[in-house]
Formats: sequence, structure tokens, C-alpha cells
Amino acid sequence: MTSTASLALDVPVTGDGTLPTGTPGSSVRPPRRRRSRGGADGGQTWPIVALVVISLFTVAPLIAVIVLALSPEDAPTIPYALPSELTFDNLVRIFNVGEFPLWFWNSLVYSVVSVVLVLLTASMAAYALARKRFPGRNLVLWSIVATLMVPMQATLIPTFIMIAGWGGVNTLWGLILPTLANAQAVFLIRQFVRDLPDELFDAARIDGAGEWRTFVAIVLPLIRPVLATLAIFVFLWHWNDLLWPLVIGQSDEARTLTVGLASLNTETVSNSSIMAAALISFIPCLVIFIVLQRHIVASITSSGVKG
Amino acid sequence: MSVPTAAASPTGRAAGRPGRTASRRREAIAGLLFVLPTIVIFVVFKFIPIGGAGAMSLTQYRLNGDVTFLGAENYTRLFADPHFWQSLGVTLGYVCIFVPLIIVVSLVGALLLNRLVRASGVFRALLFVPYLSSFVLAGIIWKWIFAADGPLNAALDGVGLGPVPFLTGEAWLVLASLAMVAAWKGFGYSMLIFLAGLKAQPAEVHEAARIDGAGNWKSFWHITLPLLKPVVFFVLVIETIVGFQVFDTIYVMTGGGPARASYSLIYFLFDQGFRFFDFGYAAAIGIVLFAIVLILSLIQRRFFEGKDEQ
Repeated sequence: MTSTASLALDVPVTGDGTLPTGTPGSSVRPPRRRRSRGGADGGQTWPIVALVVISLFTVAPLIAVIVLALSPEDAPTIPYALPSELTFDNLVRIFNVGEFPLWFWNSLVYSVVSVVLVLLTASMAAYALARKRFPGRNLVLWSIVATLMVPMQATLIPTFIMIAGWGGVNTLWGLILPTLANAQAVFLIRQFVRDLPDELFDAARIDGAGEWRTFVAIVLPLIRPVLATLAIFVFLWHWNDLLWPLVIGQSDEARTLTVGLASLNTETVSNSSIMAAALISFIPCLVIFIVLQRHIVASITSSGVKG
Repeated sequence: MSVPTAAASPTGRAAGRPGRTASRRREAIAGLLFVLPTIVIFVVFKFIPIGGAGAMSLTQYRLNGDVTFLGAENYTRLFADPHFWQSLGVTLGYVCIFVPLIIVVSLVGALLLNRLVRASGVFRALLFVPYLSSFVLAGIIWKWIFAADGPLNAALDGVGLGPVPFLTGEAWLVLASLAMVAAWKGFGYSMLIFLAGLKAQPAEVHEAARIDGAGNWKSFWHITLPLLKPVVFFVLVIETIVGFQVFDTIYVMTGGGPARASYSLIYFLFDQGFRFFDFGYAAAIGIVLFAIVLILSLIQRRFFEGKDEQ
């Protein structure tokens, strides 16, 4: 489950919602740009030096993981010596030994199924809450938003008891189901649907399009940007989640990568194996980031999704 | 965030036309059907557990399903439990280190990125990348870095500072180490919020300050920071809430130790619930956390009231 307590719904910073990437034609111009036109370097040296130092702080630990994961087992490695050679042995071994592939599969199912179901149910609800009049609409909306103030840890025990009562302990459905209640997704998509032009819906109605067809053919394609953003964050929340999987997935059948990694950490497993497992767990997040970097940055700065 | 009741009504539909009631009803049924799955999910997995947490906290709820009504006994026991006060103290201590640390690091990162003319995208990505990792991954990396025979102590040894017991020493050192790991993992997000706030500041104000002869430092204290105050407050509140929920890094790095030096509120809840299976008592701890988060959230709401009406 996500740390839903963070009420990151209204970031009071957006202005016109443009990105801080210096989008062409953006009305908000970085103030420093003008200054640099005058001076030789515009005082760019020390910020770059400082940023290189901070980058070392952020990236060096991750590079250490890569080096350790690729170092031969039981051979001297960092910090005492550079590894004599780099090998994929650890990565291959961890995938062939024990339950690691199962953990990976469980994390993948947990994350991907949750993303699909959260986005589908939240879009449907958001469409109704933004575009349909029905009795109790405001009550539904504000009840959902109010749950953002309840941290998942506060409901951990009763949720566990309920899932356990249904026989959901150590099952993937027991893992997934309670995490489908995602108020941030409903709220953010609703904002987006509400701002779509009315004419589109009038046109669909005049064309005689049914409700479901309007939703699938008009709403879903138009809200793709917010869906892409949410897909990334819902994936990251689930992939990196620990407490709920730890509680509900106690045996290997439903154990996720994070829980498995934490358990390796307490066992007598070689450091290179742990680092190999850690590296593999990080790769999907890194790939998503590289592919969709623009979406991540845009979404944080314009909507304040918080994981 | 007000709900525009008119937005849902297509403009062409005038009141009082025949067929209006029928189409109204159709619209209402469609709306309810679309929102129904979400209502079911939220009732079952949010509202019932919320009520359940309150109810369970008034009972003794054992693993075998035996339930005894206790009234407020769990709470009186909680407020008399030295482990509760200790975990609350540990969590507060952690928050007091973590929040200023993450605010300063993310603000400095944002200010630097905002100054760059070129390559800011590259640095932004490099600074953001730890945010993609899990707290478990961060904990595993930094446990190795902080170890007695790890790289940090190797470096400190090199300059004669001896081994520092980052995760096994005094309470403040352990909490500071844990806070540093969480800040490393989490600051990229707050940094981007700060960066957006900085980019939204009008260039003219900064120009005027420069013409008036204000130096970098002066214009930061008197212009940039005051303009950024709402953003700072926003980040402050969400990171405080995140801080109160600290668990993953502790679970991976210290197990609550040494000698309960990092035994946080959530760790206490986890222990009572899933080690001692004292579910009613654990639910009461959850309610206390809820109260803390609720107060912080309400402060946030109050502060931003009317600022974001769209």
C-alpha cells in the first residue's frame, strides 16, 4: 500500500502548470537566463561544481551496488580493492537459486495488476464524479478524498484481519485487493476530466454514443497524459512497497521482491548475492524512469503526486 | 477544489423541456454505475477498516478470534506503556533530524538547478534517481556504506577519525544515519516541487533586486525565500507526515535497535500486531498515528484554504 497520508493534492506552486524544463514558449522564464547572456560564464562554475558533488552523493551508492553485484563472489572488492574482473555470475546465480524468480514475478503481478485495476476503476469513477449528476455525488467525492488523511498503517490491523478472514493471507489477490482504493488517482483524474471541453460530450450525445462508448472512445484517449503519470507512480508505489506485502505475504507464494530482499539481508547470504538481487529489483524502476522521465517531472511539478 | 455543480450539465439542455426527467434519471443511473466499483472498493477497504480500527482498539482481539470488549483500557495501557513513550520519543527525534535535513538538501538542489543555464536536465535526473529506489534497497546500500568495515569508515579511518558506529552507536547517531538514508532516497521529489516554485517566481522581482544592488545572499533571504514560503510549508508538512511513518529503513537496517534506539511508532505497531499478535493494542497505536497525521493534515488544509480554488 502506498503512504497515502501525504496530502499532496494541491501543490501551490504551479502557476500555469508548465514544466520547469524551459518549455519553448513558456511564459515563466528562468530569471537567471538573462544574466548569463552578459558575463563570460554567468557564474556557472560553482553551481556546476556543487551539483557534481551532490550527484556523487546520489549516484555513487547506486554505482557501488552495480560494482558489488558484478564482483566475483569471495574476491576482494570495494572499498578495499577494485574487483579483478566483472562478472554476471551473481545475477545468473540469484535467478537460478531459491525463490528469487518467484519474488520477482509476485512483485510484477502486484504492481502491474494494481496499475491496471486502479487506473480503470479510478477513471470510471472520475468520469462519473466530474461529468454526471447523481444523488450523493459530492458526498462520494469528499468521502474518497477524506480517506487521504488516514495513513495506511492506521488501518493495517483491521485490513489484515479482514483479508485473513477471507483466506487471503499468502495470496496475490489478498495482496492486491486492499491497495486498489487509491484516492489520489480518483481525485487527479477527476480534475483532468472536469477540465475537458463540454462540446466533446455534447457531440457524443448528439451522435447517440452510449455511456460506455463515450467513456472508452472519448474520455480514455483524452486523459492519457494523466493516466501515464499515474501508471508510473502507482507502479513505483507497489514495486517499492514493504509493510503491506510483509504482513500479508509471509511465505514464498506471495512474497514480493522488497520482502525477499529484506529477508536475504538478515540471512547468511553473501554480500554479492544481496547486491545482485538489489540491482535486479532496481532495474525496472530505472527503465521506467529513463523512458518516461518527462512524465515524472511534469507530474510532480503540476499535480504533486506523492508516493 | 470546490465542486462545480454546473459543469456536469451540458449547456444545450434548458430546464423544463419534456423528457428532461427521463434523461436526468438515465444520467444519474449511468453515473452511479460508473462510480459503483470505486464505492465498493472504498467502503470495503477504507471505511470498514477505519471503523474497524476504532472498534478493535476498544477490544482485546487475539489471533484465535477471541474478542473481549475492554473499553478504553488499551489506551490507558498505551499511555502507561514506557515502550510507547519511547517509540514516540524516537519518532519525534527522527522527525526533528529528518525534516530539516531533507528540506535543506532539496532546497539547495533546487536552487542550484535553477541557476543552471545548460545541462540542468542531466543534473536533475542524477539528483532524482535515488527516489526511484525502495527504502529497502536504500537501506541495504547504506547498511553496507555505514558498516564498521564499509567504505565510509574506511575513508574516515584514512583521515584518522576511527570507526564511527553509525548504526550501532548512540541513539542520536543512529537516528541521524537513518534520517540521512531516507533523505537520500526521498529528497528528489521535494526538490522538484521547490524547483517548480522557483521557476514560477516572476523574473522582474529578481531583476529589480539586482538593479538595487542586492547580492545573491541578500536577494535569497529577502526575495526568493519569502516568495517560496508556501511551498516550503507544504513540503514541510508532507515530509513531516512521511517522517512519522518511518519503518522500512529501520526494519532493514537496525531492527529497532540498538537497545530500542530506533524503535519507531510504526515499528512498535508492527511488533505488537505481528510479533505478539495483540491486535486490539496494535489498532490503538494505529489510532494514535492517525490522530497525529490528522492534525498535521488539518494544519496543511487550513494553511492552504482558498489558495488553490480552481
